[in-house]
Amino acid sequence: MDFTPSLPIPISFISGSYFLFSIDDVTYLRREHHICGVLIGTLPQIPQQNVFLGLPLQLMPEEARLLVEKGVAYIVDEAKAQRDGMKALMEADRQRYLQDLESQGLQASRLQATRREQQREEVLKKMEKKKATKVKKDSEQKQQPVPAHTDDAPSDLEMFASSPQPAATPSGEGQSSQASVPPSYPLFTHLHSQGYYLSPGLRFGCQYLAYPGDPLRFHSHFLVASAEWDEEIKLMDVVSGGRLGTGVKKGFLLGGVEKNAEKSQAEGQDTIRTFSIEWAGM
Amino acid sequence: MMTSKTATIQAPEPSALSTLIAASNDSSPLSANTIQILHNLQHQHSWTSLQVHNLSVDEAGVPLDPQSSDTAPFPLISGIPPHRVYTHPDEQLFMLERNLRDDEIAPERTYVLPAAQGQSWSLQKLAFAFDSLPVPETESDHPQPTIRDGPENKAKQLAEYYERRKQARATQEWGGKRLLLSMVDKRMGGEGTVVYYIVQEGVVKPRQN
Repeated sequence: MDFTPSLPIPISFISGSYFLFSIDDVTYLRREHHICGVLIGTLPQIPQQNVFLGLPLQLMPEEARLLVEKGVAYIVDEAKAQRDGMKALMEADRQRYLQDLESQGLQASRLQATRREQQREEVLKKMEKKKATKVKKDSEQKQQPVPAHTDDAPSDLEMFASSPQPAATPSGEGQSSQASVPPSYPLFTHLHSQGYYLSPGLRFGCQYLAYPGDPLRFHSHFLVASAEWDEEIKLMDVVSGGRLGTGVKKGFLLGGVEKNAEKSQAEGQDTIRTFSIEWAGM
Repeated sequence: MMTSKTATIQAPEPSALSTLIAASNDSSPLSANTIQILHNLQHQHSWTSLQVHNLSVDEAGVPLDPQSSDTAPFPLISGIPPHRVYTHPDEQLFMLERNLRDDEIAPERTYVLPAAQGQSWSLQKLAFAFDSLPVPETESDHPQPTIRDGPENKAKQLAEYYERRKQARATQEWGGKRLLLSMVDKRMGGEGTVVYYIVQEGVVKPRQN
């Protein structure tokens, strides 16, 4: 139940989206970090069954970025990791082949050495015999010892023994450091730090839906829309967001980063201003 | 015959609103819009003690920067509604527990920000309006509530409520500063409907309506 996966968790970055493939990671992030994501996996045989979806879990870029900034996860560029992995595999194969060659060479040279040894011994025996007969023939002749033929093929052995050790294989993790996020990211982190669970807001035509607790237990409180500090806000958007929100028992939350040089410098971070909007009913 | 007939036809009387706007000294569109909303509050929603504040000078008397176009002065209306416009969900729960009804609590002065459809707004402007909004007044001048049943108990509970509200205002747990954003469609085809939205500073949970 309270299983903690080994941190940091790898987030797969595949063709522009962020995915999690481990159910342990998914439950851990939801439990400890309020990151829910969206389950997108269907059954291969019945893809039209899309009410209950399973793994993988797709994360918003904001969620991926937040987890990386917290040090809980890192992003793996899957295409790159795959390529590097294949390269690493080929490297391993090459090393094994070289080692095979080396051991075969060693064996061959050892065989050759023993054969030479045998031949030399035979030759020596023959010479002994000849010498013995010669001594018998003319005993006064001075004996001359035959010099031993010792320095035969040591070079082969040494050459292979000094072959380089296989280099450590690269980690194979194509880590790309940061997820690129929309400009609403500061508002996202602001709400997340206040304990809200955020999910994509497509269903209500906004950027995020903010839940006060786990979405399985709570209705969402806000339709969240982000704007730049001096970006023009259409009053019609305020009306439609506010009226729709109130109609579904939610508030319309408008927010953004305050562009105030003095303030942000003094605090060392962005100040977020948010406004909650509801229909007045009059 | 024809000439005499046309002579008798008179131009229609200008509407009460048109006369009101014409009678004002300021003829800027912003001013006309403000008067229209004030008129609507007064006659359609029965607000009282209506005032127009000009935000070129904030409540402390500090003049605001007139150079910046984004913080150009704009008017603000305030008035007392006939009944409460907004009750925070936690406040509502507190009132329910003490058996207090909405109409037993005196309505307060509420600020209204006039706007017209098509007018350009931004977070900066909205933040400026909120920054220049006075802090909600303390409970020194609320009128004595009308006591109908169980006088002692009711008075005690009301006192309890006002005490709690004072506290909640300091901590902002029943919401921070708030105002009503009013909008009129004044463009071609606009028929003079005014809509009102409650805007509150910060993350304030929605009502259980």
